[in-house]
Amino acid sequence: MREMVAFVLESAGYRVIEAEDGVQGLDRATATTVDLVITDQNMPNMDGLTLVRSLRELRDYKSVPILLLTTESSDSMKSQGRAAGATGWLVKPFDPATLLEVVQKVLR
Amino acid sequence: MIREDDPLRDEIPNRYFDPHFKIETAKILPGEYYATNKDMALVTVLGSCVSACLRDRESGIGGMNHFMLPDEGKLIGAHGNISAGGRYGVHAMELLINQILKLGGRRDRLEAKVFGGGNVLQGFMLSNVGEQNAQFIVEYLNLERIPIAARDLLDVWPRKIYFFPRSGKVMVKRLRKVNNDTIVLRERDYGARLFHGPIEGGAELFK
Repeated sequence: MREMVAFVLESAGYRVIEAEDGVQGLDRATATTVDLVITDQNMPNMDGLTLVRSLRELRDYKSVPILLLTTESSDSMKSQGRAAGATGWLVKPFDPATLLEVVQKVLR
Repeated sequence: MIREDDPLRDEIPNRYFDPHFKIETAKILPGEYYATNKDMALVTVLGSCVSACLRDRESGIGGMNHFMLPDEGKLIGAHGNISAGGRYGVHAMELLINQILKLGGRRDRLEAKVFGGGNVLQGFMLSNVGEQNAQFIVEYLNLERIPIAARDLLDVWPRKIYFFPRSGKVMVKRLRKVNNDTIVLRERDYGARLFHGPIEGGAELFK
């Protein structure tokens, strides 16, 4: 999934920094600053909701858009995502065009 | 929340006590997946569909899916795009993996045994639909670095698969004689749902 997302974004001209799990994601995000974070919910070591909460505690990431990718579309999971500070929610599987549309919208 | 028209389901499958193996058994139909931490058997019958039997090799937590791709069976399509079939296949695999992880399985200890992709639906859809499904599942597992401990793919026979997640044992019976066309009809109905049903999950922005 990560490779697919990176492929779609790089094809559209975005620069992508990849991380294998939540812990590595948090490390990479603190080592540099980015315009947008896209994270899966289900990851080893640190899940997506925890990563979102951790990023929101950092000064540099108070207002950076964060999109959560998930296989779950339940209202309770969505409200957890919203409460954690996610900007949006993409339920898999999604069309690359949908991903790009959402990315363009939140970066505007 | 599982939509009624969702072509992938994790609802509790048909269960019965298998008198031969003397164990609780769950039957997985096309488009379903199921994972368990119990000592039980999972059984399915595959035509051109494929099935991944995945398990954490230390804890014995594992599960099985049963799916086919709605179109070309490659992650990257002929025009360099990510095919709808590839996205759907990734989704089918992730649902099973996520369920195993939720039950306590560890991703770095997962191993797979893969089956199916027989060319049993000649005259229905693409003639090589089984081959595409088989190619996808191997490509996906290689990409995700999940080792394939055993495989029985392609050929022309339907297969009945028994998977015992606790031990990792799989028993495969090649069905050289089929008494009725149930397998073909089930896969055809599932294929029709995939071709006509929604396979997009959608997006929502909170603000």
